[in-house]
Amino acid sequence: MQGFAIVLASEELERVQAVSIISSVAAASEIPVEIFVTMNGFRPFEKEVVENMDFEGGRAAEAMMEAEEVDVPLFKEQLEQAKSLGPLSIHACEMTMDLMGKELDDFVDLFDGTLGVSGFISAAEDKQVVFV
Amino acid sequence: MSQVNYDPDVIVDSRDATCPGPLMDLIGKVKSAESGALLELRTTDEGSKNDVPDWIDKAGHELLETVDQGDYWSIYVEKS
Repeated sequence: MQGFAIVLASEELERVQAVSIISSVAAASEIPVEIFVTMNGFRPFEKEVVENMDFEGGRAAEAMMEAEEVDVPLFKEQLEQAKSLGPLSIHACEMTMDLMGKELDDFVDLFDGTLGVSGFISAAEDKQVVFV
Repeated sequence: MSQVNYDPDVIVDSRDATCPGPLMDLIGKVKSAESGALLELRTTDEGSKNDVPDWIDKAGHELLETVDQGDYWSIYVEKS
């Protein structure tokens, strides 16, 4: 197996967090991971949303946000740490950004750049594709 | 308590962090350690206590022992 190509199209915190956990441990273990953020998947990465912890989500997300006795690392810190440890790239979907009038500067500093669908297919060619 | 007195080269204190915090902290320290180094991971997270040994095995390092310290676990690992 040559790694994972993960399409993140959901804004739900628990899904983003699950993607982050699996991607981080895989990359830190030298398994290549490409994350392609598209559609509603962008919202949790917006600077204002992260600053205000204004995430969408269900019961697991609420439990994560309300956890006081344990330190639940937010996906942002996990992904930053993972990028320093192994082969993890995070791409922003060009089409969605154009559609929503967004620039990379609107998001937390995690993205390696923008990518179109052909670029993603090329990056995913030898990988297992996971759609979230 | 363990029958062995370990003298770790590196102590990774991840108490109170949830999955995958302890594992990520350990991986970072293992990467920068010398071959043969002894590391101790301290965790209060039961899931990590069970999961970290799987990573150690898959990554080819040696799990020496998991010691119940009462309010946390010490996982001793030797880097390959």
